Amino acid sequence: MRSLTRICCAVAILAAAGAAATRDIVPAAAPAWVSRAIPEARGEINVGADGKRVAVRYRGWSTRDFGTFRTYAYDDTRPEPAPQLGPLPAGAVGDPKRGRALFLDRQRGPCTGCHLVPGDDVWPAGSVGPDLSTFGDRHLPDALIYQQLWDPRLTYPSTVMPPWGAQKIFTPAELVDLVAYLKTLRGPVPAEQDADRNPFTRRRSTGFGDNLDPTNNPAVVRAEDAAAVWKAPGPNGKACADCHAGGPQQAMRGVATRYPRVVAEHGRVMGLEDFLAVHAEATTGRALPSESEANVDVTVMIKMASNGLPVAIDTTSSAARAAIERGKTSFYRRVGERNHACADCHTTDSGANKFLGGRFLANVADGMTRHFPTWRTSQNEVWDMRKRMQWCMTPLGANMLAADSVEYAELELYLTTFDVGKAINTPGIRH
Amino acid sequence: MSDIGKIRIRVPSNVKAGDVVRVRCLVIHPMERIERDAQGKIIDRNYNYITRVTATYLGKPVAAFDLTQSVSENPAFSFALKATAPGPVKVTFVDTHGGKYERTEDIVFG
Repeated sequence: MRSLTRICCAVAILAAAGAAATRDIVPAAAPAWVSRAIPEARGEINVGADGKRVAVRYRGWSTRDFGTFRTYAYDDTRPEPAPQLGPLPAGAVGDPKRGRALFLDRQRGPCTGCHLVPGDDVWPAGSVGPDLSTFGDRHLPDALIYQQLWDPRLTYPSTVMPPWGAQKIFTPAELVDLVAYLKTLRGPVPAEQDADRNPFTRRRSTGFGDNLDPTNNPAVVRAEDAAAVWKAPGPNGKACADCHAGGPQQAMRGVATRYPRVVAEHGRVMGLEDFLAVHAEATTGRALPSESEANVDVTVMIKMASNGLPVAIDTTSSAARAAIERGKTSFYRRVGERNHACADCHTTDSGANKFLGGRFLANVADGMTRHFPTWRTSQNEVWDMRKRMQWCMTPLGANMLAADSVEYAELELYLTTFDVGKAINTPGIRH
Repeated sequence: MSDIGKIRIRVPSNVKAGDVVRVRCLVIHPMERIERDAQGKIIDRNYNYITRVTATYLGKPVAAFDLTQSVSENPAFSFALKATAPGPVKVTFVDTHGGKYERTEDIVFG
């Protein structure tokens, strides 16, 4: 009992020490953060002479500007759009065939991303929403179905389904077609020919094998470039190796387990990538902008030095607790054209551990950060956590923020709290 | 991509004479490099594919692959060979732009 008391005291003292070290952080006193990301990762919008707004994103990404919709920016104080009544247009007659095409159109919803309907051409159907194969047998009134499509929040306040009509993603005429199609879905459902077509019986991916095998994961080979960056002196004549003795594997052992963390000097939460961008420039004179190849490669190398060690970020100091709370608020904040929150897909209350189209949605409680930066087989690129977050913004219909923004850093910090105690395993391999 | 032609070869570490071992290799190669001018317009679809992969063991050819343009970026290959003596496995990749990339890995008897 006595030893237990002693341990408790020690913990209290440690916590107090942590609080003392970070107490004097006043964001207003810290220098204002200027993005150190490469140009395409800053979330900027170009306005042409004709007033046309073009979003600057990575090559191959959509350039559509979602400026009219809420983002994750802390200074974006626009409220979530209120639930809206959508009365069924009088006398409108829908075409079930057009409705079915809209239901499957991958450029629109697609409704099949969440809902299963019959048909061999329905691929890939998801299981986030209910199976609609026999929806017509419910004999619901047209006006109710229409309202459910227009803005389902009036009927189900905590739904994750976007307000398709209220946000003008589908026109009223298109919604009438969809209502007509949904009413044609009558049982009995023919026996399933392909278990993988049905997201409720589909086999889960078994992964991509050993992620630390360089003949299996190109990210490991790519990260070897970082060894050259580590040794090469920057414009100041200094190299990373000059201060961090013993090679990256030894000098950086355990460093990645502490990130993201509150960095008092900059008055903000910083991920490994954010800190590298300022630290490398300040010490060696070499710029390692966020999302540059060199930054990601060095991040992989530093994180690999902590492979096998449990994540041990600071979650107890007052500054960290406040940042985690802000990150959590972002996680549940509804943004964008689709009015989605991160939580819609990544908590077991809604989408987590279900299929969104062909993709299996990860559960935030399992920890989503410790395999990042990760090799993406679908992109043939190494992506860090921030680029993955920015990628989420397009399907949400929200403009992305700068990769090194405080908002993303604090969101990453919140996500990392679920990884605490679990071993780092970088670089991962994901689809 | 600066690291075009980087190769990694993996052989089992605990090999005895007469074992059939599987050799895995991966090459970093984009296959298609699209070059752009200052305005971002594509000036040349600079298709560049690996067309031939050859492997030798103790100097003797053991595997050869002829590839078409359906090959992926950063492809991985694997082949089996009978380990008769300790020695080098050499894998060579040739692409349509005349690039030749090779790497050697020793099979060590444990």
